[in-house]
Amino acid sequence: MEKKKSLFSVFFNGIVTENPTFRLVLGTCPTIAVTTSAINGIGMGLAATFVLVGSNFVISLLRIFIPDKVRIPAFIVVICTFVTMVQMLLQAYVPSLYESLGLFIPLIVVNCIILARAEAFASKNGPLLSAMDGLGMGLGFTIAITIIGCIRELFGTGTLFGIPIMGASYQPMLILVLAPGGFIVFGTVLGLANIIMRKLEAKKAAKEGAKA
Amino acid sequence: MPKNSIRGGVHPLERQQGGKASTSNTPIQPYAPSVVELSMSLFLGKPSTPVVKAGDHVKLGQVIGESGGFVSLPVHASVSGEVVSVRPKMMMMDQPEMTVTIRNDMQDEWVELTPLGKNVESVDPAAIIPAIQAAGICGLGGAAFPTHVKLTIPAGKTCETIIINGAECETHVTADHRLMLESPERIVQGLRLAMRATNVNKGIIAIEDNKKDAIATMQKAVAGLEGLSVVSLRAKYPQGSEKQLIQAVTGREVPSKGLPIDVGVVVLNAGTAAAISDAILLGRPLIERVTTVAGCVKTPGNFLVRIGTPVSELIEACGGYTEEPYRMIMGGCMTGLCVPDAAMPTGKRTNCVVALTEKEAKAQEEGPCIRCGRCLDVCPMGLQPYRMRNICDQGDLKKAEACDVMECVVCGCCTYICPARRQLTSVFKNTKDAIAREARRAK
Amino acid sequence: MSLHVSNAPYVFSGNTTRVLMRDVVIAMIPTALAGIFFFGLRALLHILIGIVAAVAAEYGYQKLLKKPIRIGDCSAVVTGMLIALNVPAAAPLWITLIGSLVAIILVKELFGGIGGNFMNPALTARAILMVSWPVAMTSFTLPVYGLGIGVDAVSSATVLGGLEATPLQMFLGLIPGTIGEVSKAAILIGLAYLLLRGVISWHIPVIYVASYAVLALLLGNDVLAGILSGGMLFGAVFMATDYTTSPMTKKGQMVYAAGCGLMTCIIRNFGSYPEGVTFAILLMNIATPLLDKYMGAGRVYGKGKKA
Repeated sequence: MEKKKSLFSVFFNGIVTENPTFRLVLGTCPTIAVTTSAINGIGMGLAATFVLVGSNFVISLLRIFIPDKVRIPAFIVVICTFVTMVQMLLQAYVPSLYESLGLFIPLIVVNCIILARAEAFASKNGPLLSAMDGLGMGLGFTIAITIIGCIRELFGTGTLFGIPIMGASYQPMLILVLAPGGFIVFGTVLGLANIIMRKLEAKKAAKEGAKA
Repeated sequence: MPKNSIRGGVHPLERQQGGKASTSNTPIQPYAPSVVELSMSLFLGKPSTPVVKAGDHVKLGQVIGESGGFVSLPVHASVSGEVVSVRPKMMMMDQPEMTVTIRNDMQDEWVELTPLGKNVESVDPAAIIPAIQAAGICGLGGAAFPTHVKLTIPAGKTCETIIINGAECETHVTADHRLMLESPERIVQGLRLAMRATNVNKGIIAIEDNKKDAIATMQKAVAGLEGLSVVSLRAKYPQGSEKQLIQAVTGREVPSKGLPIDVGVVVLNAGTAAAISDAILLGRPLIERVTTVAGCVKTPGNFLVRIGTPVSELIEACGGYTEEPYRMIMGGCMTGLCVPDAAMPTGKRTNCVVALTEKEAKAQEEGPCIRCGRCLDVCPMGLQPYRMRNICDQGDLKKAEACDVMECVVCGCCTYICPARRQLTSVFKNTKDAIAREARRAK
Repeated sequence: MSLHVSNAPYVFSGNTTRVLMRDVVIAMIPTALAGIFFFGLRALLHILIGIVAAVAAEYGYQKLLKKPIRIGDCSAVVTGMLIALNVPAAAPLWITLIGSLVAIILVKELFGGIGGNFMNPALTARAILMVSWPVAMTSFTLPVYGLGIGVDAVSSATVLGGLEATPLQMFLGLIPGTIGEVSKAAILIGLAYLLLRGVISWHIPVIYVASYAVLALLLGNDVLAGILSGGMLFGAVFMATDYTTSPMTKKGQMVYAAGCGLMTCIIRNFGSYPEGVTFAILLMNIATPLLDKYMGAGRVYGKGKKA
């Protein structure tokens, strides 16, 4: 029998153990496409987090009423609702971010992470846990793409969150803010994150082994 | 594919000192050892059964081991003297072999010999093949497959040509070269006897063009004899390999999993032909053969060596080592076997003994494949060694078989040429052995 | 006395990876000398930085990841040198440094080191540099020792970019370009050495140039200028022939080289860059596994004959 999930473990799970970007490798399309700057990364991440929390919560509430055969369209409808809300909110309050994320905002609908969490978690767990899972996953996604965005912005344009950092004589490495740079940085960071994660797990296993 | 040569191939040790050049001009000297050790598995096939016991006195050429069946041969005493012991002993293979040890009394007292005839024409064709078996003759080129089995043409097949293999493409070996120079008539007689036994009227003696003198000598020897000819081949290793030789001489390819007889050819080694001649015309069983001793020894040379002579005695006959040997090889450097101990006896297949120094023979560390494609260029079978190695490393025998590893002739060209020093050939050999074992087990 | 036992064969050809790589370095020396002659000591500085950075990056990476240290095989020297020969002499020195680091760590070591990379490290680095710092990578100068063709002596367009030059000037290298690519004469000396030593076969360079010439002729380009200007010969001799990223069989190599030539011509004529060699070879690098799969196997001896 599975151990009862605590809210914190579900939250932590999304950020580290099953980080959607680095461990599940979901939602790679926005990960590569919008991370040309740190602010884009944060904006995209938070937008996705909002959708995740909302959709997970609602889907979890509705999970008994949604027939199994049409669950995907039903999930999509719920997700769409939240995405539309996010889109309108961004357009109203942060038009510059809305402009730079462009098409990728409506595309959150088909972001694998959201659908995957609805399918794998929210449709099987209670609303509170599901919302927490959405928050954890969303923040995990946000952190990951912000890191990638920071790296690409720092070396690709010499700024961080729009503030010049590398000095006037720095000649930015243009390729990093282009599509190939997205692949290169994503791949490299993914590899590094997995090395770190593996080390942590080995340490944890050693600790548990010592206990036993 | 070039005419009179093979696909792929390499030229090992061609430009280096100490290869064939050190012995190609030294005449064959007889050598009588103080003791011989005769394994009952001197050939490929069912081992013989010893029929002598410790303390017996045996004459030269006396049968000491009886043939165990059709694909088997008798073993003859290669010296006269007292049997010291009959016991199982670890030789070069992974199982102990029943071994008869005889101390040489230096009398060379022959058993009674019964030749089948004075000359080739007077011999009864039907009697030749049994006599070849009784004389214990197997392929002297390296595989040691019983010759009478090769010459027994299976029903439904026809043999058109017998090829004498005088290619001798291996490094260091000059035994057949010297034999062709010194007794061409025995080789020709042996070939004619084999042709007479199998009712074949075309015989070809194939020699690589790095042995011009041997080609001239053999041409003289076959002059005026109908159906016989000498073919000069462009020197290249592994031309002496049976399948490659057939391709170089006839342009035909032995089918996959087939035998030379499937393309109407039987290949005999030059030394084997000479042994056939001795067995039929003199009645002498195979008790000695020409063996080249080369490498880091004082006076490398060719010796008429009694079967079962310990390697260490041969080295002494060459004046000992010039340098500490690191590796001792029976056969050439491309396909020979490593001798773990210099006390090991030579066998019927031992055409050469090479002592190599550490500098010459130390294996270098394997590097990663750089995909240069040289192994593809040199493979005489047209295989893809780099890919086969990757597949063999996975350990899946089915997959390995699917990438044609069974077609590999284990010639060593790919390993020789590989810049990353990858051990390709030995992996293929082990995989082939494993597949063969598996197939036997399945039966 | 102890005898060592192992499996046959016991002798090896003298061509180790190290010897082959050393030969490639030797073959590039005339090109490098020509570059230094034309562009001064700054070119030498580029070359030294390229080599040192590449070797240091490889050593550092392998040390850090506790892998066997393989800098002894000289392949990093080749990569570093190729990168330096692929930048214009006037480019900042750190360009070469970054190119070497990118080539060794990102393209070569992250994919498993020598033999594991799927694209030519030096060329990929050049592509990354070109996209990242297009100005620095295309600010070509006329040779310092050279003849004024009436253009600004500091920076100049390339022949492909519209500069006029006679074939002899292009052949000797009296034109603007990257350090290594300008002197066709020096490249041909290197090619002769590589062929003589058996490091490469003629197939890739010859078919590359020939297939380019055919398409260029059909498109009505100036074929001779196309071959003698830009990085075509350098790419055909030193870049496209990289063992790891070119097909293994002669048949595959011919298709690969033809692809390189056609692609170069297409990019030069219809692409947005004046020079297409880098991307043409990289594209064919990516096609290499496919070519190996479908053209990698010759006929196996005795197969298909009935037993």
